[in-house]
Amino acid sequence: MTDMVRFYLGWGRLAILEQLQYRVANYFYMIGMIAEPVIYLVVWRTVAEARGGVVGGFAADELAAYYVVWTLVRNMNIVLTPHAWEDRIRSGELAVDLLRPVHPLHRDLAYFAGWKVVAILMWLPIAAVLTWVFRPALDPTVTQIALFAVALWGGFLIRFFALWTLGLITFWTTRVQALFEMYFTAELLLSGRLVPLSLMPDWVQTVAGLLPFKWAFQFPIETLIGRLGTGEILRGIGMQALWTVIGLGATAVVWRRSLRRFTAVGG
Amino acid sequence: MSFLRLALAHFRVGAMNELQYRVNFFIQVVQALLALTTGLVGLWLVFSQTEDLAGWRPAELLAVMGVHILMGGVVQMFIQPNMTRLMEDVRKGTLDYALTKPADAQTMVSIREVRIWSMVDVLTGAIVLGVSVTQLEHRVGFGDAAGFAIALVLGAVMIYCFWLILTTGAFRLVNVENILELFSGIYQAGRWPVGIYPGWMRGGLTFLVPVAFAVTVPAESLTSRLTTGTLVTAVVFTAVLVGVTRIVWRIGLRHYTGASA
Amino acid sequence: MPAVHVADLTKRYRVPVRESGLRASLASLVRRRYRDVVAVDRISFDVAAGEMVGFLGPNGAGKTTTLKILSGLLHPDGGTAEVLGHTPSQRSREFLGRITLVMGNRNQLAWDLPAMDSFNLHRSIYRLDTAAFQGTRDELIDLLDLGGLVDKPVRNLSLGERMKMELASALLHRPSVLFLDEPTIGLDVTAQRKLREFVADYNRRQGATVLLTSHYMADVVALCRRVIVIHHGRLLYDGGLTGLSERFASHKTITITLATPAESLHRYGTVIAQEPLKATFEVARTETSALASRLLGDFEVLDLTIEDPPIEEVIERVFAHPAEEPEPEPEPV
Repeated sequence: MTDMVRFYLGWGRLAILEQLQYRVANYFYMIGMIAEPVIYLVVWRTVAEARGGVVGGFAADELAAYYVVWTLVRNMNIVLTPHAWEDRIRSGELAVDLLRPVHPLHRDLAYFAGWKVVAILMWLPIAAVLTWVFRPALDPTVTQIALFAVALWGGFLIRFFALWTLGLITFWTTRVQALFEMYFTAELLLSGRLVPLSLMPDWVQTVAGLLPFKWAFQFPIETLIGRLGTGEILRGIGMQALWTVIGLGATAVVWRRSLRRFTAVGG
Repeated sequence: MSFLRLALAHFRVGAMNELQYRVNFFIQVVQALLALTTGLVGLWLVFSQTEDLAGWRPAELLAVMGVHILMGGVVQMFIQPNMTRLMEDVRKGTLDYALTKPADAQTMVSIREVRIWSMVDVLTGAIVLGVSVTQLEHRVGFGDAAGFAIALVLGAVMIYCFWLILTTGAFRLVNVENILELFSGIYQAGRWPVGIYPGWMRGGLTFLVPVAFAVTVPAESLTSRLTTGTLVTAVVFTAVLVGVTRIVWRIGLRHYTGASA
Repeated sequence: MPAVHVADLTKRYRVPVRESGLRASLASLVRRRYRDVVAVDRISFDVAAGEMVGFLGPNGAGKTTTLKILSGLLHPDGGTAEVLGHTPSQRSREFLGRITLVMGNRNQLAWDLPAMDSFNLHRSIYRLDTAAFQGTRDELIDLLDLGGLVDKPVRNLSLGERMKMELASALLHRPSVLFLDEPTIGLDVTAQRKLREFVADYNRRQGATVLLTSHYMADVVALCRRVIVIHHGRLLYDGGLTGLSERFASHKTITITLATPAESLHRYGTVIAQEPLKATFEVARTETSALASRLLGDFEVLDLTIEDPPIEEVIERVFAHPAEEPEPEPEPV
């Protein structure tokens, strides 16, 4: 057990060192990423104005709060791209990984977790600027911040396992790009990334409730911007735990199958 | 004109290169459809709440979206592939070959590559544009159409300049993927008329990353909103940018070849 | 007027000093430290039109840098360089149309297309007259034995075939000066030989001036009557191959074949190889004839050969001081 802890700390630390090295690239990336929520925010604020100040239950400053927190959650949502598997298989990197005594998932998880630490740190000044510019209605209590922290990492875990598993499809076919794109589009619409789901028609909201997307994205945002009671938040974290377990299970099952296929076909 | 001849020769090679990968066509179509879906959903969501976004009506916003997709296709077809190749060449040392050819180096590195499958986006954008034009309340006059064409060309040139300046100037700090991401992110702002953005943002989207000139201005012309002032500014700004780009390129080249200042 | 004229050519690089560890990384945020590396140190030589010169030197010696300066890719920091009467760094169109550069480990042909397509592109770039172009192209295809290969995608060619194709492409505009940077690197022995034969032939027929760098001795020995040795950026030697041994090798070898086995040969000198009836001595140049006469006098010698040590050995000893660092990458700015 302590070995595992040391393993995670080791990889996490490496990730932190490396990503600090790439800070310029990281900042470029993060700044480019801000464009998206800012655009959504401005559009919906304009719509809210046209409607006398409120749209979908959000006032202008509440929209600002939503999309500012959005930037952090979005960063936390960035995990191993499913496209990575094609390279891993083709370059022989996977074969090497399989010879190691530790499941490759652990290394990926540890590395990304470390990276997220850097991301959070780098996000803080960006958040300060965004707050100064857009004046969001943000006034969380300490409890809310603590719960937000949990929900944030919960969202990370859900998406991490989901995409890790999705990527494994590459073992069966290399014509995966279209599939991934469709997945991401569905996610974009059903996770609360494009708009808060309350702006979507009811049937969409029902569908979104059955999928993990919103628990990885919209839910963490909501915990911080004060639209949920503590009870609701705790229930939500429970849902996150559920989806994390489902994801973990799916990963385990699919991985075993993938491995069988890999060793049978030879990669 | 030797430039055209060279451009055509490279286009032929570039197209031949790409045409081999038919699967890319399929992927491009899927991506275009998905992006279109997302865009239409976005528009629909907005218009389920209001009929007027900062003075722009549904059909007009559709036109903006059409120009956005079309221009995006042009950028992905002609501009980005060359910038990616330029960075790669500098890193691998193969830029030397471009520099030993008896042709202007800036021209060479700007026209070598073509991503033919992005034509799907150009077509998609054109179709959306076509549909939107039929829905417009005012008919598109000859002046509007001419202004549109001119604005489109100027916008494309400005985006090229932006890309080359960034690629030449910044490649020591970042790699082309970062610039790509940055540009893609900011370019998304062009989906909507830049008038909705707060003043300082509008400025950035006009003069820092020329998205306004590339998308909103042509759309303005098509929807009979374009002022002469704006068009003149576009012309002047393009001329300035082209000049600055040339200077930045030459400085970058001298640095690469170790020419002392 | 010489085709290539170089006088006191100098080129320096600023190389960042990098160290490992977190502390050093943080320190380098604040202050980047540099070191000046002299890649080319006051080199002078002239090459007449139609001459073929080989540049020999270990990695990082400055050969490629010199070639890059002569092809206009780098600006020198001191001295002069003139090729065909032009200053290379000015990169005039006329100059560029008369030279060609081939780098052994870097391809310029379009990877996924048949070479023929790249040839046609080349014609557009160099604005070649169609008839002349076709003539040259067909001639090169014939000489390099590329018949069935020009219509295959370049990625499907073997390394040797690809190199020949690159060479053909580079010669389509009939350049007067060829800069070949490690053209045979990575090729198998046969491919190397074929390439060399072609280059020698081309030089003879076209009268093109050839500047070739290599760290394969075989290239230089086979092709170049004139060798320029560069080490640490300095020109150590400029002359013929035979002169190279004389200049740098302090000894020769004497190999004798005896009628009957002999003992205690070691009393005559340093024996570096011995079989029952054969022995090889290493002897200082000045002592060669003395030792030879002694051996002839004291033994029944069936055969006696006096030779220079293999060129490779000579060169190795010349480069006995290893280069301080690998060919410095210029700071891409």
